[in-house]
Amino acid sequence: MSMEAALTGFQQAYYKHDALDLANCLKPTPVDRLYDFWRSTNEVRVEHNVKHAITYGLGGIERAEAQGWIDVFVHFWRASDKIIKADQAQNQGRLSERHAVEVYEAWKDLVQTFQKYIGNGTLPHWIIFTLYFVANDLRKFAIKADTQLAKAKPVTFSAGLSDDVVATTPKNQKLEEAARVFSRIFALCMSDRNPNLSESRKWAVYCIANLQFKTYFKLKTITLCKNLIKSIEAQADMPPWNLYPKAHRVTYMYYCGVIAFLQEDYNKAETALFNSWAYCYKGSTKNRELILTYLIPCRLITKSEIPSAQILQEFPHLQTLFGDLVSSIKRGDLAGFDKAFAEGEPEFVRRRVFLTLERSRDIALRNLLRKVFLAAGYEDLKEGQTEKDRMRRTRIPLAHFATALRMGSGGGQTVDDEEVECLLANMIYKGLMKGYISREHAMVVLNKKGAFPGTGV
Amino acid sequence: MSGAAQGSAATTKAVTDDKSKNGEPAVEKKPAAQLEEDDEFEDFPAEDWTEEDTQIPGGNTHLWEESWDDDDTSDEFAVQLREELKKLGQTK
Repeated sequence: MSMEAALTGFQQAYYKHDALDLANCLKPTPVDRLYDFWRSTNEVRVEHNVKHAITYGLGGIERAEAQGWIDVFVHFWRASDKIIKADQAQNQGRLSERHAVEVYEAWKDLVQTFQKYIGNGTLPHWIIFTLYFVANDLRKFAIKADTQLAKAKPVTFSAGLSDDVVATTPKNQKLEEAARVFSRIFALCMSDRNPNLSESRKWAVYCIANLQFKTYFKLKTITLCKNLIKSIEAQADMPPWNLYPKAHRVTYMYYCGVIAFLQEDYNKAETALFNSWAYCYKGSTKNRELILTYLIPCRLITKSEIPSAQILQEFPHLQTLFGDLVSSIKRGDLAGFDKAFAEGEPEFVRRRVFLTLERSRDIALRNLLRKVFLAAGYEDLKEGQTEKDRMRRTRIPLAHFATALRMGSGGGQTVDDEEVECLLANMIYKGLMKGYISREHAMVVLNKKGAFPGTGV
Repeated sequence: MSGAAQGSAATTKAVTDDKSKNGEPAVEKKPAAQLEEDDEFEDFPAEDWTEEDTQIPGGNTHLWEESWDDDDTSDEFAVQLREELKKLGQTK
């Protein structure tokens, strides 16, 4: 196939102003799709051939812009060359970190070429979205390169030197470098002063920010995410939020939610995560599951509510993760809660929900105490009262709560009376139970209405 | 600089291949890295979609548990609790 033929897809996308189609022309996976373009030239002739194909293919565009595209496709050809060679090496079982690093470096050159020509206004504004996709692939290549480098490292240096090596070459060297490339692209979007919003690079602010979030989470430098959010929130002349594509909004809200969650700002986290959940594409099961992984613990804290059986059924991973814990909370089963919590600990820690879930033991306790309240039954009806006037007994001996706590803690544990009072006082303080303790009478006097707010009694 | 690193990689590989001690960390690292990957918010198959393709038409009614199963007679604990509390009442 000739170079001209290999670039027809690009021409069509260019004339349609379709950034996504154009990005598809520059997609590095699967490798097969690169072969036609790759075979149409070689290292020696690539500049000449690309120049010829672009100059004749895009008739009537300005020289400077043509030069921009020539540069882009020459770099794309060089990256393709590295990708194909790495792929061949992999098929022959001789893939080394060198291949992965070369692919990364070549792709980085492609990204930076784009960046340069968008930055100086040579390429049209809408190409910023194409750059987003190309940059997303850079992130993936950086991760691959780092993985290969990490694999190679233990055998690269003798044990005596390895300490120094760790100090000089960080584990995620390439991804950290890519993160700096993304920051510059982000700045390129934010700094667009074009008063005509329809032609602004600001439309790419959220998708580039998402790319940075993913990178920072991988690098475990979550503080940098907060700075990013702050700088977006401080930007006054942004296009209306609702006009951004849902993929950008849902991803951005997910990360904002998780970041607020990690800062223990659960109300903010819940709003953001719910927003992400509501607009999330229904077919993206994995993403919906991830949103719920944080939304569920959030809701436990903000509203003391557990997820429905139905929703856990719909997501088997969540059922495994939260199922036992949630059913223990529902039953007010403290021993069951402690067991499920201990069993789930490694996974809870890894998912960063451990500390939040720990606080949900209060809800299990609330539900246990609520059972004592229900078991106390109703006051006798007075003269003239009918069934619908029936009131629950609200004066309940402390001993009743003590009995329930002893039963609920798995029998073996002793719970002394002072501890019972302390637990009850805590529940009242936290607003999970309304009433007061009368020590004199060894009684708990609960509110006649809403003794356990939000639970129907 | 990278050339030097590659060179030493090639020369030391053979030496360390039979040293399982040095090889181990790399093997252990792999599952951990995959798990991390697993946590990543995925790229959506499209940039935008209609509200029909979201959670909005169904609302959030089924997200949170609303039933308390208070009349559930199979709740063994509640039954047992009533028994125990009854005993307390009698000893008073």
